Amino acid sequence: MIGGLFIYNHKGEVLISRVYRDDIGRNAVDAFRVNVIHARQQVRSPVTNIARTSFFHVKRSNIWLAAVTKQNVNAAMVFEFLYKMCDVMTAYFGKISEENIKNNFVLIYELLDEILDFGYPQNSETGALKTFITQQGIKSQHHTKEEQSQITSQVTGQIGWRREGIKYRRNELFLDVLESVNLLMSPQGQVLSAHVSGRVVMKSYLSGMPECKFGMNDKIVIDKQGKGGTTDDSGKSELGGSGKQSIAIDDCTFHQCVRLSKFDSERSISFIPPDGEYELMRYRTTKDIILPFRVIPLVREVGRTKLEVKVVIKSNFKPSLLAQKIEVRIPTPLNTSGVQVICMKGKAKYKASENAIVWKIKRMAGMKESQISAEIELLPTNDKKKWARPPISMNFEVPFAPSGLKVRYLKVFEPKLNYSDHDVIKWVRYIGRSGIYETRC
Amino acid sequence: MPYLGSEEVVKELRRALSNPNVQADRLRYKNYITKVIRYMTQGLDVSALFMDMVKASATVDIVQKKLVYLYMCTYASDKPDLALLAINTLRKDCADPNPMVRGLALRNMCNFRMPGMTEYIEQPIVAGLRDKASYVRRVAVLGCAKMHSLQPNTEIDGTIVNELYALLRDPDPVVVVNCLRALEEILKDEGGVVINKPIAHHLLNRMKDLDSWAQSEVLTFLLRYRPRSDDELFDILSLLDAFLLSSHAHVAVATLRLFLHLASAHPTVQADALLRTSAPLLATCGAASRELRFAGLCHVQQVMRSQPGLFGTHYKRFFCGYSEPSYIKFRKMEILVELVNDENVALVLEELRSYCTDVSPELAQAAIAAIGRIARTYSEKCLDILTGLLGLKQDHITSAVIQTFRDLVWFCPQSTAAVCQTVGACVDSPQDSEGKQALLWLLGEHGDQISSAPYVMEGYIDGLKTELSSAVKMELLTAAVKMFLCRPAETQDMLGRLLHYCIEEESDVCVRDRALLYYRLLQRGVEETRKVVTGPKSDPSMSVLTGRQEEPISEWDSTFNTLGPLAGCDLCPQTAATSAADQPSCRAENELLPESTDVTLSSPDDAEEEISLSLGPPLSHETFEKMWLDLETLHRQTLGFPRPRAAPDTLQAALQLVKIQTLAFTPGDTVPWKAYIYTRSTETLILAELLQGDQQAPGSDESLVVSVKQQPVNQHAIRGFPSRSVVYRVCFSQVNQTNYTFVVF
Repeated sequence: MIGGLFIYNHKGEVLISRVYRDDIGRNAVDAFRVNVIHARQQVRSPVTNIARTSFFHVKRSNIWLAAVTKQNVNAAMVFEFLYKMCDVMTAYFGKISEENIKNNFVLIYELLDEILDFGYPQNSETGALKTFITQQGIKSQHHTKEEQSQITSQVTGQIGWRREGIKYRRNELFLDVLESVNLLMSPQGQVLSAHVSGRVVMKSYLSGMPECKFGMNDKIVIDKQGKGGTTDDSGKSELGGSGKQSIAIDDCTFHQCVRLSKFDSERSISFIPPDGEYELMRYRTTKDIILPFRVIPLVREVGRTKLEVKVVIKSNFKPSLLAQKIEVRIPTPLNTSGVQVICMKGKAKYKASENAIVWKIKRMAGMKESQISAEIELLPTNDKKKWARPPISMNFEVPFAPSGLKVRYLKVFEPKLNYSDHDVIKWVRYIGRSGIYETRC
Repeated sequence: MPYLGSEEVVKELRRALSNPNVQADRLRYKNYITKVIRYMTQGLDVSALFMDMVKASATVDIVQKKLVYLYMCTYASDKPDLALLAINTLRKDCADPNPMVRGLALRNMCNFRMPGMTEYIEQPIVAGLRDKASYVRRVAVLGCAKMHSLQPNTEIDGTIVNELYALLRDPDPVVVVNCLRALEEILKDEGGVVINKPIAHHLLNRMKDLDSWAQSEVLTFLLRYRPRSDDELFDILSLLDAFLLSSHAHVAVATLRLFLHLASAHPTVQADALLRTSAPLLATCGAASRELRFAGLCHVQQVMRSQPGLFGTHYKRFFCGYSEPSYIKFRKMEILVELVNDENVALVLEELRSYCTDVSPELAQAAIAAIGRIARTYSEKCLDILTGLLGLKQDHITSAVIQTFRDLVWFCPQSTAAVCQTVGACVDSPQDSEGKQALLWLLGEHGDQISSAPYVMEGYIDGLKTELSSAVKMELLTAAVKMFLCRPAETQDMLGRLLHYCIEEESDVCVRDRALLYYRLLQRGVEETRKVVTGPKSDPSMSVLTGRQEEPISEWDSTFNTLGPLAGCDLCPQTAATSAADQPSCRAENELLPESTDVTLSSPDDAEEEISLSLGPPLSHETFEKMWLDLETLHRQTLGFPRPRAAPDTLQAALQLVKIQTLAFTPGDTVPWKAYIYTRSTETLILAELLQGDQQAPGSDESLVVSVKQQPVNQHAIRGFPSRSVVYRVCFSQVNQTNYTFVVF
């Protein structure tokens, strides 16, 4: 259980402090500030123990969120709780920043009151919370009779994540396949490690209690069907470079609403979705990843005061697709005095404060390559320390799933109401982003 | 954070709050209330405004109500008399037709921390427990716990406890879990909530309705339940199976812990559970959020204590990303060291090598130490890398490498020659005291193999005046004396100067004492000095012990999924849920103790004449073997306890403490388990064998059998030896939930 929750800004000023239990004194707020935020050395661990009290902290941009407890608790749970707390706050007022927290602090206190009671998590689903706390709370006095009965039915309903009697004029659903591709590549172009962690996020605006069935090109399912003689209707891939038909998922986990027993026995994903936005599944793949970009670095030291850097990036996907928001970050030594950059495409700039050359390209089609070359002049130093050569990192966004995952179908059945699977408007979108995408040089 | 002029602020706020014009304008009024809360958050004492705030609580605006309640809960204990004024409003709200208002009022009323509150809240709580809205029931159930914590020493109210047990069947999942939480707190002194068979089964069936936090907690509560039969056990396990792959790491890990606990008698089930959970654990290690990644890594480390091979093929997942925080990098390196095998050693070493030049000196040193650990098995490759690192000529790297060399030479004496050659060729010396000590130790211990040793040492002796660390000075003294013993001609002069300086001019008492000790020793003659100064060299047989042991799962499963694995565990109190379950193993060990001490008591005469043991020079394997075969067994005894389960190097260290040398152990859980040990007593050498689980030796399945041989025979000492089976209990308090108990003869 959690004894208290504090939110600080980067200077260590308390923005929010809520104590749930007697064993956490008011000085706990200061203890964390002095020992962690104002500590001289780097953060040693996300869990800090001060005088038999454990502080769990999470940092979002320059905001510190800390949970305090005296009990021996499950650390993973506390961290997940803090993330959930961040998600809820984001859902209410957008980005977590000092300004937003200050402007919404009444709302945050309200949230903290509902989410935790006596230090125990009570209700953390944003959808359900919204029935208790309306935006900004100003309207909350005018609770209609209907809303009141909703509260009761929502909390007594058999299914904790969906309330009854939801109605939409237009039944619609959105599926987002969001993936982040992580790569660590050696200078010689050997893949040291690569994995994709993906999420399927669903926004459902469906009436009643719909039963959904979700299908994707999971290797195990496809193979099973192949044996059964049915032809795979998902066809050749229209996305990505390779035409592979199925993918091997290393591990996947689901939202609470998915019937796990059914997944285990027949590998089918069936569920009654929560209303609004939620994360249907999380998965990870490590095999046959389409690496959207290849970075080829060439660093040459010319004497003691000059470095020549040449970096080539190659896009490796269908030419009809466009990658966006490409950013390549080439680190430079600390004693850099000047940089000359020439690039074929986009804009490149040396940022002295970040010790890096930042090369930005707005858009780039598949199967293209682009190059940047830079001359870095160095100040002569008597520091014998060798430059550690941090890796070249890259950011981008591509409109396909680097794991190769494809949604084959999402069927909706609602026997009680008169709409069928065909009436539901469905949207699917794939976004592949870079996670930690690094190439050593 | 006290503010300057805080009194001014309070005064101004009070003026505003009591201004009828402001009170009439709802928005302005609320703004001032918000301001009060803001100051309260910043740590300003605004308790003086209590009266005005109580007035503000009589409103229809729920948000304003919430703010005022928050204020009152914070300061009620400071102003109990004023807080009573607010109770009427609250009690009225408890009967409001809107369940949200009812819940809110009840929750806040229970949050008032002041004496005498119980009489006001008891009735609304009891009413709340039977409320038709589950929202109110949730609040009321936790209210029971709050009421109890107000008066912790009063008698437990039986009717409320019964009511709470009945509410475990509530249709609302949160009410169910809140009941468990409340009962746990109320019944804390009686050992917490009782989980009997119907309750356990009920909870198991409700599991999938619960949210992830509740699931995690219920799984912890279920640790208390012991299934009656194997059939029931497997039913429970198959019910829980799906949760091993839950999307929430904490649920998956909590399930794993329950599996390990329930299936403690079925190692195959445990292994299977670990295998299945390895995927979610690995996923957690690659999670997007670094804190979760850290928690995942810590748990992987724990699992690896029993199943080192489980993550072997995934070693690349533990390569560090450049931007990861150092706490993650440290953990990853520790894991990488454990995962090294013949196939991946080259890649892992290459990876670790690249960390050695990291910007953070601490990280670089940790990476070097990690290479040193691997060097115990793959010395040649690692020595190459370490030697290469010396070439970088950076202080912190040089120092770390020398320290690594020292540890390596101790653990793995066969690498001594190569290390000495490198150290001899190394030109620049470490600058920090840790590194200096390591270098001096190497010079002293293996001075005979490093040709330039006296000259390097001379440099240190000449620079003694500028040396600040007394630890370095002490090490220098010891090293110089040792060096004098093996290379007297070159060392004599500088040793004289060193002793003179330390005795005459040194201000640090410890250093001076050490110098005086050596001076007097040397006065007694070289041979005497040699006996004292040259302690046991490291034993080549030690390399047998370096392989990591596979620990039984029971060693760590009690701390799994608590704060324990995330370090700093010694400071956190034990979870109530596990404390009861963990005790028996220790108690069983305790019960064994009297038996073994009986052995001592049976020969009281010997106990009086305590025989003295000494370590003496180490025996080689060959000599031991020859003697063992030649000699007759003089004494055989069955000791009433099983073999110690500590790690071999701990055991060896503990044996050395009582002056017994270890020759070799059989690794791990091999049956029969054997250990050969020896010691010296007055003019006699005693050899002994410890044996467990041998088919031929009677009585050795359960407990240890010790056989003793001696040369030359000295009956007195022989009787003394096993009767010295004094029981040393070494409890490693740094891991407070794990009690290593072992026995030394």
